[in-house]
Amino acid sequence: MDFAYSAEDLKFRDDLRRWLTANLPAGWGRTVFEPKDEDERARFRLDWEKKLFKGGWNGIAWPKQYGGRGATLIEQGIFAEEMARARAPEGLNIIGRNLTGSTLLHHGTEAQKQRFLPKILSGEEVWCQGFSEPNAGSDLASVKCQAARDGDHFVVNGQKIWTSFAQYAQWCILLARTDPSLPKHKGISFLLVDMKTPGITIRPLRQISGESEFNESFFDDVRVPAQNLVGELNGGWKIAMTTLAYERGPEDALGRQIRFKLELDQLLETASTLKRGGKAAIDDPVLRQKLAKSVVEIELMRLNCLRSFSKSLKGEPPGPSASMLKLYWSHVTQSMYETALETLGPLAPLGEGDSLSPADGRFQLSFLQSRAFTIYSGSSEIQRNIIAERVLGLPK
Amino acid sequence: MDFDFSSEQYMFRESIRGFLEESYDLKKVSALMAGEGRDPRLWSKLAELGCFSMLVPEEHGGLGLSFVDLALVIEEFGRALVPAPVVETIVSTDAVARFGTEAQKAQLLPSIAEGKLTMVPAIAEAEAGFSPDDIAMTAEVAGNGWSVSGRKILVPHAKTADVLLVATRFGTDGKLGLVLCEPSRSGVSLRRHEAFDPAGRFYEVSFDRVRIVRDEILGGDPSGRSVERLLDASGAAAAMLMTGVAGKMLDRSIDYAAQRIQFDKPIGSFQAIKHKCADMAVAIEASQSAAYYAAWALAEEAPELTKAVSIAKSFCGDTARQVCNEGIQIHGGIGFTWELGLHLYLRRAKVLEYSYGDAAYHRERVLASALAEIQRRA
Ligand SMILES: Cc1cc2nc3c(=O)[nH]c(=O)nc-3n(C[C@H](O)[C@H](O)[C@H](O)COP(=O)(O)OP(=O)(O)OC[C@H]3O[C@@H](n4cnc5c(N)ncnc54)[C@H](O)[C@@H]3O)c2cc1C
Repeated sequence: MDFAYSAEDLKFRDDLRRWLTANLPAGWGRTVFEPKDEDERARFRLDWEKKLFKGGWNGIAWPKQYGGRGATLIEQGIFAEEMARARAPEGLNIIGRNLTGSTLLHHGTEAQKQRFLPKILSGEEVWCQGFSEPNAGSDLASVKCQAARDGDHFVVNGQKIWTSFAQYAQWCILLARTDPSLPKHKGISFLLVDMKTPGITIRPLRQISGESEFNESFFDDVRVPAQNLVGELNGGWKIAMTTLAYERGPEDALGRQIRFKLELDQLLETASTLKRGGKAAIDDPVLRQKLAKSVVEIELMRLNCLRSFSKSLKGEPPGPSASMLKLYWSHVTQSMYETALETLGPLAPLGEGDSLSPADGRFQLSFLQSRAFTIYSGSSEIQRNIIAERVLGLPK
Repeated sequence: MDFDFSSEQYMFRESIRGFLEESYDLKKVSALMAGEGRDPRLWSKLAELGCFSMLVPEEHGGLGLSFVDLALVIEEFGRALVPAPVVETIVSTDAVARFGTEAQKAQLLPSIAEGKLTMVPAIAEAEAGFSPDDIAMTAEVAGNGWSVSGRKILVPHAKTADVLLVATRFGTDGKLGLVLCEPSRSGVSLRRHEAFDPAGRFYEVSFDRVRIVRDEILGGDPSGRSVERLLDASGAAAAMLMTGVAGKMLDRSIDYAAQRIQFDKPIGSFQAIKHKCADMAVAIEASQSAAYYAAWALAEEAPELTKAVSIAKSFCGDTARQVCNEGIQIHGGIGFTWELGLHLYLRRAKVLEYSYGDAAYHRERVLASALAEIQRRA
């Protein structure tokens, strides 16, 4: 066990710090924030990601030949910490980087890697994930969306739902049924679909937060070249499991931890300045306990990720233990946002845009968004089933 | 940068676990409820395995290792309900090795390494909270030494310990420090507590004008840092122990749930049980992150030591509470029997939860350091 950084690690950190200081908008995180409008915000995030790429800082873990810098897991950890320290914005192409990229690196052909990976990092191609369907959510293996072979193409027909960022995406990773006669896990294939192909319709869905990040996506005789099949025909389930392991694993969680830590710091600052009955809110001993609990839990989210990284460095493959990380962070962050509203107390019912709403309603918005944490990437109930059966060995 | 243990450290854990599973089961734990609650065979075997020499520097006949090397071992002690004063002696060793004068180190450390000397902290007082600020015991200047008066509570194995490490204030300025004092010293009297953990042996220790000389102050002069370090190390060790207790409780619950049949199925196939077990496992995983990080912070005297210890003590305490309660629930009626012994885990965890600062006390320390960090940055 050793938390000290090597000389190379420190150089990496200092280079990154210098770059961040030079490239973040002036006043960033203090007086300058992300745009409120969703489309503007998406453009802002993508611009930031392109800037990161130009500086050589996007997808640092990927091999150099695909546009990454072959960063070690340790450098990834440093990267996450420094982005947190600088309160850096999030990117837009999270699915491209964490899901498509990681999956293709494991299962893609050389041609697929060369074609798709560099453009994910450059921000030229944003991705979405077409897994869930109206009748296939937790029971993902029952997807019905069909891909029928027609010469050197697949013809896709069906519907996906909850497709985040589909409205900004150029490409989609799609789970489709290629053989309805086989048992449900064995007739699914994993396809890469160009969202500009004729026959695709995107309909935004309004979320409880009022935003519309996710969509319904309809596929009508959408022609997908056979070379965009990842892995074997009908072998898509195994590949989707790799995607989900990354979606639940430390790479994803460490990135998120940054955002939570930032919001928590912001919350502590708000609690210190907010007046409540002649005192600062932070002087309330009950609230202090709850805030402290979140400080503990968010810090442990980081340490869980670092332990998990250290295990992968020793060659432990990503597997069901990723569910433990995800189950942990989704619940502790939900409770952090509950505490955020308790911190606001009598001002909690104010919404975004009200002049009296502390931090301009960002905690109320984050609170609403946090309700999704225990649903997406596999609901908590599903994670618990996985942990109980596949990590702890309890009977089915 | 590596947040994992080495293969040697894992191997050492395996040998400790192997030994404890084979020769120190719950029957042995129960047997310790009679008499002075000590198991000399266990003690000498642990000494033979090197447990007491790990923190002793090489020049004093030890292995010169650190809390990182001990973290998995102490977790095993928790799993097996290894009785005090094993961990207390190890934690006291850390204080002596770091703060003792050369003479004190030469006198105490080799015997500790050989497993011949037991040492326990005496910190808690009946009318104090968890903060060292509350310590009221005082040493007054008397002749060329000091005269110590006051009362300590919950001192484990005070009767059979060789040395007590007593936290007290000194003189009129009230500086804190640690005194090395054997329990048989004139003016020291002992009363055995009725204890929540029947396998524990706790004493009230009263000091009535007990004479000590300068050489018996750890380090020769009072040192508040030595008290803080002793408390931090004790709190972190308690976190490691509680993580072990919780881990064992989960394992027993899983075994039971896989084998107990109701409604023609193992109860472990019911989601209500499965989901409890999954939540317990997740809490234990995070507790390990917390406890191991605290072990590292202790070993390195990292700047974030206080925060790391308080994160561990509060989180691991909450986890042990949740896991012990749910573990008994999963066992149903048999879980409530004295005979099955699950209460021994519950009781040990409870004692640890309220030793060296409870979760609320430590959360307050965490918040104070988080707010200070924010202020430093602003
Ligand atoms: C904000 C957001 C973004 C999303 N983005 C995407 C995306 O980009 N791409 C994509 O493909 N999907 C996306 N999803 C979909 C998400 O993965 C699914 O919502 C999720 O898998 C749950 O499926 P479901 O909604 O059909 O709920 P259901 O599966 O119908 O579940 C309903 C309830 O039943 C419980 N349940 C179901 N089965 C079991 C069981 N076996 N045991 C116990 N309880 C059970 C669930 O836990 C849940 O509480 C997103 C969802 C949200 C909320």
